[in-house]
Amino acid sequence: MKIIVTVKLVPDTTAEKRIDPSTKRLVRAGVETVLNPFDEYAIEAALQLKEKAGGDSTVTIVTLAPESGKEVVRKALAMGADDAIMISDAAAEGSDVWGTAYALAQAIKKAGFDIVIAGTQSTDSTTGELPGALAEFLGVPGVTFVRKLEVDGTALKAERETDAGYTKVSAQLPALVSVTKSINEPRYPSLKGIMGAKKKTIAVQSLADAGVDKPIGAAGARTELLELTTPPARGKGVIFEASDAVAGATKIIEFLRERKLV
Amino acid sequence: MRDVIVYIEQIGGQPRRVSLEIATKAKELATALGGSVHALVLGKNASGAAEQLKAYPVDTIHVSEDPDIDAFAVDPAVDYLEAAAKAVGPALILVPFTMIGRDLGSRLAARLDAGQCADVTDVTVAGDKVACISPKLGGTVLTTCAFKGDYGIAAIRPNSFKAVPSAGAGAVVTLEKPAGKTYKIAVDEEVVEAAGELGVEEASTVISGGRGVGGPDPFKTILKDLADSLGGSVGASRAAVDAGWIGHGHQVGQTGKTISPNLYIAVGISGAIQHKVGMRTASTIVAINKDGTVPIGEFADLLVVGDLFSIVPELTKQIRAVHS
Repeated sequence: MKIIVTVKLVPDTTAEKRIDPSTKRLVRAGVETVLNPFDEYAIEAALQLKEKAGGDSTVTIVTLAPESGKEVVRKALAMGADDAIMISDAAAEGSDVWGTAYALAQAIKKAGFDIVIAGTQSTDSTTGELPGALAEFLGVPGVTFVRKLEVDGTALKAERETDAGYTKVSAQLPALVSVTKSINEPRYPSLKGIMGAKKKTIAVQSLADAGVDKPIGAAGARTELLELTTPPARGKGVIFEASDAVAGATKIIEFLRERKLV
Repeated sequence: MRDVIVYIEQIGGQPRRVSLEIATKAKELATALGGSVHALVLGKNASGAAEQLKAYPVDTIHVSEDPDIDAFAVDPAVDYLEAAAKAVGPALILVPFTMIGRDLGSRLAARLDAGQCADVTDVTVAGDKVACISPKLGGTVLTTCAFKGDYGIAAIRPNSFKAVPSAGAGAVVTLEKPAGKTYKIAVDEEVVEAAGELGVEEASTVISGGRGVGGPDPFKTILKDLADSLGGSVGASRAAVDAGWIGHGHQVGQTGKTISPNLYIAVGISGAIQHKVGMRTASTIVAINKDGTVPIGEFADLLVVGDLFSIVPELTKQIRAVHS
């Protein structure tokens, strides 16, 4: 089975991000680039599929990112993925979801696949729009928000989370699956994995290498950024030391009354 | 002139509240664009949902109860939306930023080769230009984006607009089944666990519990009671979800949901950055914590320092007294 995992490189999730008002760009100084935490669940799901399917199954990481992120991609290889494709091209800068999904789809089609696994969303844009667009461009069933996945031969069975509960679905490969964090507990790279990852291949491709035949990046984006503003920061409010339960509850009720919330 | 198409998400013949919020906003946008509002209601019981929708300012309600819509996941709804979009002509398409809406919006954007703005909290019209405002990077910045092409899709965050009844023309038309389609994701079983409850993303009041509540029981007892007294829903921090005290669907924060309720009450939650990014856009934030130095004190409107296990039930009692 040929398994592809799409990943995104994002600014460190524990750092408070801010925008430089003069350049309208994220202040990257002191903010490390990491693997999108949601993608670790996708990598784990892929590794489990590979281990179960056995034979000559492979897991290939595909990402659209500047080449400077190579060492971050290596973490995915250290977890156990076999190799990686990095689409790195200055012309991809400023891509929206449409452009990113299109570029990834072209590279994935060229590489060949039975199943593509993606994280549900990224921690920087948090829109969760990539998996759907990617399924559409790949022309395969897009089974999103999956919390349980079984693949038997070419048959896929999954549980999809919904806002009201979950649905059990089935489909045939090739397909795309996006996984939620309920699906597994991602493994930590072992020392052996970290050492082994140094020898694994990360194929850096230009947009042309990846088979991207339409303009993407800022030039091809279907949306344009008009303005970037900083909302007023939430000020520090009132801190009330409650002497007992009644005092605490009464304070809250008074406060909610003032704001017409009760 | 440009029309506005609204996707109405419905469960059992009831439009979800976010759908009604979007329908209300759509009329304002359509008026500014000189067009009309088309609503799409799909699946089992769609006619019932369409009846309720007539109380809101939509001009045409397109309905289909094609059994394929419920028998197969996602794809039939995308096809119906695509067909409607092509029949109506270049338009602004509004979907809710819910799990279903995320799928539909992203699939449709790729299919129509259109731009999409997601997690939108406001939409403005200047001349014939539509602009969408979305919080990014955990609410630290607001982006204003425009569509470059003829179509544009905006996925709207629940609680961004008010649903205000005001009947429109409400003409109901039946959609024709898109021809030549085969569907590949079969729905074998649909399990509804939270019937009648609003999800945290949609509720106007959310009571969340964190590490400080100490176990699964308070979520079903004191927090649930407080939520019920305020007509709200129960949420949780990552610590509580990871400990297995409550399901992931309730999680608020970076690896959970990003919400904008009117009132957010954080119980036993310290308010680390990963939690803050999921709820900082709530209109009012109240926290209850035994520690007065927790980070949430820096951005909550009110932090009450004390024992949550006695304050929460007392608060519920007092709220019930106010309401009765």
